[in-house]
Amino acid sequence: MSENIIETSGLTRNYGDICALKPLELKVPEGEWLSVMGHSGSGKSTFMNLVGGLDRPSAGSLKVGGEDLLALTEDGLARFRRKFVGIIFQQHHMVPYLTAVENVMLAQYFHSVPDEAEARSALERVGLGHRLKNRPGELSGGEQQRVCIARAIINSPKLLLGDEPTGNLDHKSTVMIMELLKELRAEERFTVIMVTHNQEVAAWGDRTIYLDDGVLVREERMGEKQ
Amino acid sequence: MLLRILKNSFLKRPKSVFLVFLSIAMGASVATAFLGIAGEISHKMALELRSYGANILLEPSAVEGGGFLREEDLPKIKTVFWKYNITGFAPYLYGVADFAAGGRKERGVVSGTWFTKQLEVPGEDISIQGIKGIAPWWDVSGNWPDGPDEAIIGAALAKRLGVNTGSDVETSVRGRNQRFRVVGVVTTGGFEEEQLFAPLVTVQTLLLKPGKVSRVQVSALTVPMDDFGKKDPAKMTKDEYEKWYCTAYVTSVAKNVEEVMAGSRAKPIWQIASAEGSLLKKLNSVMLLLTVLALVASATAVSTSLMASMAERSPEIALMKAIGADRFQISAIFVGETLIISVAGGIIGYLLGDQLAQIISRTVFNSAIVSPLWLFPTAIISALVVAIAGSVTPLRRALLIEPVTVLKG
Repeated sequence: MSENIIETSGLTRNYGDICALKPLELKVPEGEWLSVMGHSGSGKSTFMNLVGGLDRPSAGSLKVGGEDLLALTEDGLARFRRKFVGIIFQQHHMVPYLTAVENVMLAQYFHSVPDEAEARSALERVGLGHRLKNRPGELSGGEQQRVCIARAIINSPKLLLGDEPTGNLDHKSTVMIMELLKELRAEERFTVIMVTHNQEVAAWGDRTIYLDDGVLVREERMGEKQ
Repeated sequence: MLLRILKNSFLKRPKSVFLVFLSIAMGASVATAFLGIAGEISHKMALELRSYGANILLEPSAVEGGGFLREEDLPKIKTVFWKYNITGFAPYLYGVADFAAGGRKERGVVSGTWFTKQLEVPGEDISIQGIKGIAPWWDVSGNWPDGPDEAIIGAALAKRLGVNTGSDVETSVRGRNQRFRVVGVVTTGGFEEEQLFAPLVTVQTLLLKPGKVSRVQVSALTVPMDDFGKKDPAKMTKDEYEKWYCTAYVTSVAKNVEEVMAGSRAKPIWQIASAEGSLLKKLNSVMLLLTVLALVASATAVSTSLMASMAERSPEIALMKAIGADRFQISAIFVGETLIISVAGGIIGYLLGDQLAQIISRTVFNSAIVSPLWLFPTAIISALVVAIAGSVTPLRRALLIEPVTVLKG
């Protein structure tokens, strides 16, 4: 049995009087593909932000890769993100004045040292070897998302977070992206946390948890129901 | 990579960059212009203020002077350390005389002096010394004396004697007589209106004081007195004395002149020196204040432009943070951008400011100015100060951006 990469205990996140995530107990083994489902406002993005070190819990404990995220300073969380996590957003989010390859190199720059050859290779792996010098405005939604995937994996993260990464894509592009992620995961052996409200996308995972109003209400393993 | 980010950031956001650049360049140019002409204004104003009259008075020392100074020592005044600051001087020899003209008689003071004497000092440039140069406010109706028996007479004395230009005045001192032709009547508003001014050599003969002078008025360009300048040189350390001696305080220039005039004691004419010092100090303060205000205005403009730019770029900053940039890395990008813009703004600001200073100098003083060497680094430093001051708040805002808030779908 592999070690848990994520362990939460009583993990809670309040925004004023609103409790976005109620005490959550969860363990995610290393290498697992976990899909997180729920309606809008169910707490799934809050969970992903906490696990990715983008937000801080209000209570409870949260360990990711053995690192107690509550104990980290702001810069400590930044270091954690660049070394440990790759993030793919629904809205793509790229630096508009940088080319595709430069957007990938940006993650290398914050991590350690930019290596253009390596960045090119990452883009080639996601099928964008011919779009290296294009800026975000010159790329389609699917292509932009593939640049974001290349950027997310360039530093060999242990944890890949996707916040509705196919939410803005058509069915064909969605399938392409999911196949790409599956392929990359097989090669890189990273853990995936995929937030989605799309059942079809969630089905690509090993396990799916369902959140409702900040509470984990159900979980399913691929091919079984609990 | 940082250079790539900066280059692309500049190329893709020309309007925002230009606004910040313009704000910094304007601040630097105004600072350059004001500081450039501030030094020049001090110099030109100091020259203008010499029309207030002499600011140093040389008199015989009570201890060793024997009552008179020697005329032969006068050229040495143009050889002292501060010779280039001495814009002019005039010797005087006073004596009480009886004046007679047109049947009227008056007792008064006859004053021998130089009016416009061409002074040749070996190794030095030829200069014109005399009362005409150091007392430009004297209003002479008629002409200045040119010959040994020509004189100008004070307006009050002329009135009492009933003389005017062209009259003759018989001057007697202990039985020795000298007839002077009045070529001008002088109005000064002061005690000079009670005197008759004649060439020094003639009065020396009349008073039987060959080669003697009673006092010398010296007009010198000096810097405003400060606390250090007011210290007693006798109580200074060696280093302090050297610093004091090498600063053009009216006291140090006076001391300098005193050293070459045997048996003399040099005293600043404080009402002149302090008025000049006060005026120049105020003028410099105004220029400095205007410079600071221009820089503050510029920093405010930079801050406003950067705030707008930061708001526009908040998704970019949030993204950088999300993918692992810490505060130092974020700061490096935005401070790097600002520093490059500020150096470019400082260079352009310097060039514009230098031209502005030339225009102001030509318009106000009718002459060109030479920019001091320190002005260029000062312009660059001003631009950097403006940029840093203007970017503190925007950068703090940038560092407070939360990726979760900005990047949510």
